Amino acid sequence: MALLSFERRYRVRGGTLIGGDLFDFWVGPFYVGFFGVTTIFFSILGTALIVWGAAMGPTFNPWTINIQPPPLEYGLKFAPLREGGIWQLVTICAIGAFTSWAARQAEISRKLGMGYHIPIAYSVAIFAYITLVVVRPILMGAWGHGFPYGIFSHLDWVSNTGYQYLHFHYNPAHMIAVTFFFTTTLALSMHGSLILSAVNPQKGAAVKSAEHEDGFFRDHIGYSIGALGIHRLGLFLALSAGIWSAICIIISGPFWTKGWPEWWNVWLSLPIWN
Amino acid sequence: MAQYWNIFTQLQVASPPHDNPATDDPIPYRTKFKTLSKLIGWFGNAQLGPIYLGPLGIASIATGLIAFEVIGLNMWASVGWSVKEFIRQLPWLALEPPAPSNGLKFPPLAEGGWWLVAGFFLTVSILLWWLRTYRRAKALGMGTHLAWAFAAAIWLYLVLGFFRPLLMGSWGEAVPFGIFPHLDWTAALSIRYGNLFYNPFHALSIVFLYGSTLLFAMHGATVLALSHLGGEREIGQIVDRGTAAERGGLFWRWTMGFNATFESIHRWAWWFAVLCPLTGGIGILLTGTAVDNWYLWAVKHDFAPQYPAAYQILPDPAKLPENARFEVQP
Amino acid sequence: MTFTIKLTGVIVTVLLVMGTVLAFKKTSAYQHGYPGTAMDLVQSDAELAQKLKANTVPAALPQVPAGGPLAVDTYQNVQVLGHLSVAEFGRTMAALTTWVSPQQGCAYCHNVANMASDEVYAKVVARRMLQMTMHINQDWQQHVKGTGVTCYTCHRGNPVPAYVWFNGPSNDPSARPMMQGRGVQNAAAKDVGLASLPSNAFETFLAGNTSIRVQGNAPLPSEANNRHSIKQTEWTYGLMMHMSNSLGVNCTYCHNTRSMGEWETSPPQRTTAWYGIRMVRDLNNQYLTPLTDVFPAYRKGPHGDAPKLNCATCHNNAYKPLLGVSMLKDYTVLAEAKPQPAKTPVEPPPAEGAAPTEGAAPTPAPDAPAPAPAQ
Repeated sequence: MALLSFERRYRVRGGTLIGGDLFDFWVGPFYVGFFGVTTIFFSILGTALIVWGAAMGPTFNPWTINIQPPPLEYGLKFAPLREGGIWQLVTICAIGAFTSWAARQAEISRKLGMGYHIPIAYSVAIFAYITLVVVRPILMGAWGHGFPYGIFSHLDWVSNTGYQYLHFHYNPAHMIAVTFFFTTTLALSMHGSLILSAVNPQKGAAVKSAEHEDGFFRDHIGYSIGALGIHRLGLFLALSAGIWSAICIIISGPFWTKGWPEWWNVWLSLPIWN
Repeated sequence: MAQYWNIFTQLQVASPPHDNPATDDPIPYRTKFKTLSKLIGWFGNAQLGPIYLGPLGIASIATGLIAFEVIGLNMWASVGWSVKEFIRQLPWLALEPPAPSNGLKFPPLAEGGWWLVAGFFLTVSILLWWLRTYRRAKALGMGTHLAWAFAAAIWLYLVLGFFRPLLMGSWGEAVPFGIFPHLDWTAALSIRYGNLFYNPFHALSIVFLYGSTLLFAMHGATVLALSHLGGEREIGQIVDRGTAAERGGLFWRWTMGFNATFESIHRWAWWFAVLCPLTGGIGILLTGTAVDNWYLWAVKHDFAPQYPAAYQILPDPAKLPENARFEVQP
Repeated sequence: MTFTIKLTGVIVTVLLVMGTVLAFKKTSAYQHGYPGTAMDLVQSDAELAQKLKANTVPAALPQVPAGGPLAVDTYQNVQVLGHLSVAEFGRTMAALTTWVSPQQGCAYCHNVANMASDEVYAKVVARRMLQMTMHINQDWQQHVKGTGVTCYTCHRGNPVPAYVWFNGPSNDPSARPMMQGRGVQNAAAKDVGLASLPSNAFETFLAGNTSIRVQGNAPLPSEANNRHSIKQTEWTYGLMMHMSNSLGVNCTYCHNTRSMGEWETSPPQRTTAWYGIRMVRDLNNQYLTPLTDVFPAYRKGPHGDAPKLNCATCHNNAYKPLLGVSMLKDYTVLAEAKPQPAKTPVEPPPAEGAAPTEGAAPTPAPDAPAPAPAQ
């Protein structure tokens, strides 16, 4: 059911990491697998906890629902449900769901004879999340340092956490991460444009070839990274953005507690200036 | 997990550098220079050059250099022409726009006039470069998608430095040239206008920024995972779908229930990347002109979360009557 | 080749891990906002220990028994502390010396051959500062509450407090005037914590009374009627950087940054700070600037102005000066200015042969010579 025209021959058994044939089937277009089951379990439980947390709060407005972490005084203990315990359980479910998702991606990759690049890339994103809600709070001694789950409430956390360091733009790792984010977007726009411009040429012209792809960028900036290279570059830029973001927040607190502009004294007081 | 990851090109096949395809230019201003670099060949194509340097490109580079020099020389002057201090303080140095009291007039050079000069030459340089991207695509018979993507970025640039200052009646609202100073401007904009996180177009722009990063990670990883099946030969896979495109599509269909094709993923990519500066520019343009305080605007439109009070709320002391103001609070 | 790459990788990883472990700071945090809003003050344990050391309060001098002759009757030219007993007066002078000029001793303010003389400028300044201290403790309780200040709060054993400021471009030698002549910006100035923000906000906001607020009170421009520019916001931001660093706190100490301008979301510390700013302006304009002609040239700024105070002068990088420990309880004489009594008149001796009247006035004490200065 809902198969693409060429799909049937790819639906073979095998590739699973756990469970063998037990969960090796599809529901509609979705592959299940053992990790599909765990994903659904954690997702439903986590979502139910969020709904329950919202019910305990003042509103069901999706923009303003807020599941807050425990107060700092609970340290690294389990907090009462109404005082951040729900946040802790949702976090556990989130980590469970995300890692299940990555493992399921690995099973699907194996089944399709693909490399593991996708689950590895996704794991970098999971790592960034875990850095924010697990590693940094542990290093700082309290789960309460994690960010709240809420569309606009998590932005209040970002704003206040940033201003804890007086001017977060001066965080050097943040600068690197932001540069990677903007460069990724630039590179994506260029790559998307290039492919589309080759297969959607001028009116009446023939579809273009790899020579034209390379030719355009060589004419334009003197260098064309090539079909394989651009995908390596894109993956590298995107993952670097995630990695440096994780670094920039992990150093804020456990490794640096003053304002970030003051860090630049390192540069200003280099011996070479004397 | 022993598999071939195809991150670096283990075996580089060197052939003489290629010429670029023929164009419909009356005079092809292509350089003769082309060479191979083994170092770059580990990661991408090894060939450097030839580059097309026609009148548009030369003019763009020239005006860009003028802008660069105006900015740099002003920064150098501001440290008393000391080379040591220029390098030492470079991240803090700036060329500032005119004072707000100046309005939209052309001020003396030393009081913001140079900023206008640099901005003018930089804008001309960027617009000329845009024309270049348009011309190069047309000359090769290709679509002009890249030029239109670039136009979205130029939209944001012009909003920040031209349209918004114009609507606000003051060049002083524009962004200074300078590494740290432009970050101070960003923070000050957010402080002045009630926290930009509550600007819905700012939120949308960030969605597209992070979404672009997500998409490129997904697309890059997918192609690399299929590179043993020729997945990177995207034009071929688009016009004549091979097993790489089929597996790529099926991976995502099985994972998340829907998928793109080898062409449409590039449309997703193009739109996400283009919508980032497009919505961002709208958000900046509305700031100060249509909305003065984004947090209060959010409160008015019911999307600002409210928290229980965690501390005592005291009234604005400036609004208290004189005698009440100096009562000691418990 | 691959061995070299692998070896380099291992060495780099080991160095990174070692560096990470060594750079880690154990921190503690004080939370004063709703959980999840991140209105926290995070400090490393090393920072806290250093703050404790830097804010030790000197032991109070032993109390002196009450009673005895008044200072106004014993010494010449006593204008502010004349109502104290001689013993209390001496105790106060001794404390003053330890607080302001422990190395230089009494000679920093006095000509020791003529203690009553005002010839040393520092004595004139000190007299005014005594009045200033009493004024702060009496009239600015919205800011200093019952904790109050003494000379030590600012001076900390120095004749000149560690943090004072002067007019004109910042003292920071790495700063220099902007070409546009609008003040110091785009330099790594210490006054703004090394940001490139404008760094001479003190003249504008802590001596002048330019409004610091930049946010509007309404969502739409037509209602808010707020003409402040981004550049003005940078000036306010520069002042805020100074305030944060002076108190060793961050922006969330006084603000919920989701809405910095609103008072309904701001912690009570913001109100205390509001009074603090008004107090600083008051002290600079009523006490310090009027002393300009008293200070010698070497105590004045490059533009010939008197030294002035800002938040750092008292706070010295602590959220409360001396971490909130009150010295006032041991030196209640500094709590408020008292009206100065007149010298007790000396009755002329009775005329020859006149009978003493009923209830004759008691014989007043004669003028005593100035005692040796307390060491």
